[in-house]
Amino acid sequence: MAEKFDNLEEHLEKFVENIRQLGIIVSDFQPSSQTGLNQKLNFMITGLQDIEKCRQQLHDINVPLEVFEYIDQGRNPQLYTKECLERALAKNEQVKGKIDTLTKFKSLLISELGKVFPEEMAKYKAIHGDDPPS
Amino acid sequence: MGFAPGKPPPPMPPNQAPVAAQIPAQHGDEGPTLRKPGAMNEPFYLLRELPVGNDLTGNTNLITHYNLEHAYNKFCGKKVKEKLSNFLPELPGMIDCPGAQDGSSLRSLIEKNPVCGNSFSPLTGALLTGFRLHTGPLPEQYRLMHIQPPKKKSKHKHRHHRPQDPLPPETPSDSDPKKKKKKRDDDPDRKKKKKDKKKKKNRHSPDHPGLPGSQTNSNSLR
Repeated sequence: MAEKFDNLEEHLEKFVENIRQLGIIVSDFQPSSQTGLNQKLNFMITGLQDIEKCRQQLHDINVPLEVFEYIDQGRNPQLYTKECLERALAKNEQVKGKIDTLTKFKSLLISELGKVFPEEMAKYKAIHGDDPPS
Repeated sequence: MGFAPGKPPPPMPPNQAPVAAQIPAQHGDEGPTLRKPGAMNEPFYLLRELPVGNDLTGNTNLITHYNLEHAYNKFCGKKVKEKLSNFLPELPGMIDCPGAQDGSSLRSLIEKNPVCGNSFSPLTGALLTGFRLHTGPLPEQYRLMHIQPPKKKSKHKHRHHRPQDPLPPETPSDSDPKKKKKKRDDDPDRKKKKKDKKKKKNRHSPDHPGLPGSQTNSNSLR
């Protein structure tokens, strides 16, 4: 899987470098640069063809739209990954806390109900069985 | 016609099943199905089956479960740099600016799809004649492609030291390796700045005989 990304990355780097060189030629154009300019333009087209070929290998890759927001703001997209992981962990801890609290509440409730309604709780336990602490 | 105060219904004999129990269970709107009809005689007439337990709950550390510890340590353990240019250092141009400013945002690419489906064909000689340019440099406002933002290698440190002040003696706090490093780094710069300022002062201002600092300065030049 990493190979297809490497392939695309290589093509993109070559393409960007070609565009950069094209920009340098154009920034101070001389008549002798015309041949080089034409060559760079055709390299640009072949670069686009190569990138188009890479598309087939990556049709199953999905990119979250939120990452685009980060890139459009000039921010590092790795910050999105970092924030996702942090949010996932925070939510995980929050839910674990709720589970622990409700488990304690359940065992406390059963024990108190057992003191107040012993016969009913005995029937309840007979129906449900002794529920293992979840 | 009046109504007598309500009386509790008489206890049903165990053999006789209630009429309601003969109605078939209805699915869909009522959520989990009710218990068996025979159990409706029990004191728990609304007792439902417990939901099927899920092995994977919030009780489990999901980062460990999905083998994301390495990713977590990589992204959350170290400081991730803020700017896009730190992620793509080799990309030319001013990439840290918002894309909306110059119309290069990815969002605009999604909202207004570019024309696709046409093949990329090389430019022929006739088409290349359209790319004949005028000689000479571009106007300033178009010269942006190859300009890189200045890379700040070291943090900006303001240290205003008067050249007359002697170097402070080493205190216990100065034994920290970081502070020692800072002093070592600044020493060649400090020396240069001191020399330049000494030269300027000696040229332009008379020496005061009463000041000890000036005496040392004058002595250092000699």
